[in-house]
Amino acid sequence: MPVIRFATSDREIEFPEGEEVNILRVAIRNHCGLPFKCASGLCGTDRFTVVEGAEHLSAPRKRERDRLGDLIDQGVRLACQTYTSGDCTIIWDADQRGIDEDSRAGRRLRAEWLSEDDQA
Amino acid sequence: MEKLLNEEEFRTALEQAMSGRQAKNASFSMAWAQGKLERKHFARWAENHYHYVGPFADYLAYIYANTPDHATDAKDFLLQNMWEEEIGDVRHTDLLMRFAEACGTTEEKVMDPTGMTAATRGLQAWCYSVSMREHFAVATAALVVGLESQVPSIYRKQHPPLIDPDVYGFTEEEAEFFDLHITSDEIHGERGYQIVLKYANTPELQQRCIDITRDGADMRFAYTKALYDTYVAADLGNWSEVATAA
Repeated sequence: MPVIRFATSDREIEFPEGEEVNILRVAIRNHCGLPFKCASGLCGTDRFTVVEGAEHLSAPRKRERDRLGDLIDQGVRLACQTYTSGDCTIIWDADQRGIDEDSRAGRRLRAEWLSEDDQA
Repeated sequence: MEKLLNEEEFRTALEQAMSGRQAKNASFSMAWAQGKLERKHFARWAENHYHYVGPFADYLAYIYANTPDHATDAKDFLLQNMWEEEIGDVRHTDLLMRFAEACGTTEEKVMDPTGMTAATRGLQAWCYSVSMREHFAVATAALVVGLESQVPSIYRKQHPPLIDPDVYGFTEEEAEFFDLHITSDEIHGERGYQIVLKYANTPELQQRCIDITRDGADMRFAYTKALYDTYVAADLGNWSEVATAA
């Protein structure tokens, strides 16, 4: 069976051959310690770097491309947006938080909720 | 049920409760995935689906209010889910409306409650009733495990033909509602499971969760089947005949 290696927390989780599984779902179900906050590719808290098996990962989705930009070229992915169909090994910073707020979502929230003075 | 199931047994029982009644296997879903529908059928779907998912944050808010303070992880999940539905980025119903308009219907028609089938009205009423009246773990089993966790398996079959220029030919933007939910409901579904597994901590609560998960799957199946019977059968014929011919 294929294996996802969560190297930072030293966990290995198998999944059935022929299936494509969401990496964050597997991490939550098996308590693998991958940080996360939202489920929509907005916060970036669940980003990881793929060490091995990038060829088994799904292509970056629109939200992942919007959120990560050039980081995708450096092997960074969002676990909530990424599926794997084969062996892969991933690492992350155990203390990481969301990506900076200079994102489409961050800009929209500021525009919606803050006055011009607050944004200065 | 007399004995408390362990986590693995309980999860299996919840999964089995949905077995054989997933909405991905309902006639409307199968006709959609097989490329047999037209934009007018999707317009009718949107006019119904809005009344089911439009109040989803409302349902979750009722569950939130029924969740005790000590269940902080459950409350946080519900609040996060509401935030994502409404203000995290583009409001999810705005994405649904974008798709609806691409199908040729209007915001006014989508929001008109007289446009839904009786099955849709029943599903919406059931969601309100369960979220207001049931124990928070039971309501989470109903709405998140029984309904929301099914979404990825449905949309992973329906999204590819939507954006295939040789099938339905929608743009990525027009179909964003579906792509978003493929991933977000994977996570919401799993977090829902975690809450149900943790807080349904008596045999009675576990049994209630299993039963209501089955009810939820039945409700979604009936809602989806009614869309075919009401809007598509006149064009394509009875589904069993269409499926047999295929």
